[in-house]
Amino acid sequence: MTYSTKLSLACTTALIALGGAAAAQSVTIGITQNNVGVDSYQTTYEQAFIAAAEQNPDVEVVVLDAGGDVARQIAQIQDLIQQEVDAMIIWPTNGQAVIPAVREAYQAGIPVIITNSNIAEDGFEFVRSFSGPDNITQGARSAEIMCERFTEMGIQDEARIVQITGQPGYTTAIERAEGFEQRLPEVCPNVTLVESQPGNWNREDSQRVMEAFLVQYDDIDGVYSGDDNMGVGALNAALAAGRADEIVFVGATNFAVGYDAMERGEYWGSIYQSPVDDAEAALQTALDVLAGEDVPFFNYFDTPKITQDNMSEFDRPVF
Amino acid sequence: MADTAMKSLGGVLARQGILVAFILFMVGFTLWNPRFIDIDNVFGVVRSSAILGVMALGVTFVVIGGNLDLSVGSMLSFSAIVVLDLHENPAFGPALAIPAMFAMTLCLGAINGFLIGYLRLNSLIVTLGMLSAIHGLTLTYSGGQNMDIANQNDTWFDVFGRGSALGIPIPVLIFALLAAILGILLAKTPFGRRVYAVGGNDTAATFSGIPRARVVFMTYMISAFCVATAGLIQASRTMGAQNTVGQGMELEVLAAVILGGASLLGGSGTIFKTVIGVLILGFIQNGLLLAGLEFYVQFVVTWIIIILAVWLDIATKRGKLWSPIA
Repeated sequence: MTYSTKLSLACTTALIALGGAAAAQSVTIGITQNNVGVDSYQTTYEQAFIAAAEQNPDVEVVVLDAGGDVARQIAQIQDLIQQEVDAMIIWPTNGQAVIPAVREAYQAGIPVIITNSNIAEDGFEFVRSFSGPDNITQGARSAEIMCERFTEMGIQDEARIVQITGQPGYTTAIERAEGFEQRLPEVCPNVTLVESQPGNWNREDSQRVMEAFLVQYDDIDGVYSGDDNMGVGALNAALAAGRADEIVFVGATNFAVGYDAMERGEYWGSIYQSPVDDAEAALQTALDVLAGEDVPFFNYFDTPKITQDNMSEFDRPVF
Repeated sequence: MADTAMKSLGGVLARQGILVAFILFMVGFTLWNPRFIDIDNVFGVVRSSAILGVMALGVTFVVIGGNLDLSVGSMLSFSAIVVLDLHENPAFGPALAIPAMFAMTLCLGAINGFLIGYLRLNSLIVTLGMLSAIHGLTLTYSGGQNMDIANQNDTWFDVFGRGSALGIPIPVLIFALLAAILGILLAKTPFGRRVYAVGGNDTAATFSGIPRARVVFMTYMISAFCVATAGLIQASRTMGAQNTVGQGMELEVLAAVILGGASLLGGSGTIFKTVIGVLILGFIQNGLLLAGLEFYVQFVVTWIIIILAVWLDIATKRGKLWSPIA
């Protein structure tokens, strides 16, 4: 019997026991979040998570927030172990630093679900499932949106674009850029990505970067931003320079400001990622794991493309 | 004759080392990429430096007065969020939102000023505490949500960040006007001399009958006023704000002030030099961006250049590249 078979057998046994308990009484799920309140996405996520838990009478939740502080998150994970929660959901503040604490939870027999942003690969063996968006696919889809638009305009063979990425060193930022940069040459081999600079998820920073791009390059046909907040910053810079008409703006994580700019016809497209879906997916993944279902390790929820053409199918984002 | 001219030129250079450094950078970057000196780019840089610059003007008073203000970054987030929220509130609208935001931000400055001026608490601790407290206050106020102006075409609010008069961007005009007023206040008035006196020697100033507490209090009020102005420009420029928009700016502001030559120990510095410090920071960031350097490299190079500039400044003052006394 291999180690992993033994492991899964042990887990299954534990889960059957847990499942039996769950049928009789409610399950307790603890969550420690990254930094609620730092942005609207995380705030909406928390509200949706609590709302989803309240709708299910068999679920008790312990909701904690690390406030962006990795030391506090580790302490919270240890607290949740002490409280003997049935499952734990973690939104890592730092994909590497939380691994020892995740291992402790694993050793205590508590299934761990990572939500939104994954931990580093060294920690995968202690985790039951990752629930969240697939950022590489998001980047790839943004590249497709950009390419499809250029093809419609007939400039797919000469277009030049710039990229504004998120916070350097942040997994989401790296993965989106990677997905975009890989996919773009596959769909539009003649489009040139002339330069990438970080906008740090910050609209003002992004606006400053775009101003410099506009000075530096006389010909920019498209801007890909790691999220719409930065995308709108870039759009503002182009509007001020009177060059917004000639540029296709594509982002990710459709924000309300991005949605509105699309409605005004100034911004072309984005990726629709709902924090409500994100939160509900995390809770459901935890429940599925506890119910002993076969949950894939990468349990992505879908984040579709949104453009001016199909935006009527989507509600205006709440953040 | 020529010798005297050289000497007096040397004398001027010795007093304006930071200005020399600034001119050297400008020439260097222009040689690297001629677009650097393009008028649109220069205005662009000064416009985006205006936010940092206006904050630095206020912090210059605090630093010359012998104290620190680390709360300006989160205070900026606060003022930007508040003014946008009140702008969207039908009971206020833009005309009332702006004075209301100034009043609220000045209250925060008054707390700083009271604790440090009248209660004589350590400014590092107080403003470090206020950095987090104000951040919490902003998050509580906004409920963690971003603020955005919904109907951007129906308001004149964008004039402070995006407008221009006589071909000059409004943020640049605000920065220049405020620098002129505060420069005169600091250099030419009894109040300005008291700020230097308190920062230079607190005890001596008190014994000479200078109302130390009131002077320190006022420096924090000036700082808060500048932050509120910067918050207004910021909010108007982006027509929206995140709760973290000013995060980390306190150190950039302090860097600009120190780069300008103000002493962290208080008692020295001028508004003009702070303006130069701000412009050096702004132009370095822009120049490296135009040079197309990778971001991580830019980060390293920026701070190497800043340290070089400080060295050049000190070296011209000493007349030697290194200190004879180790």
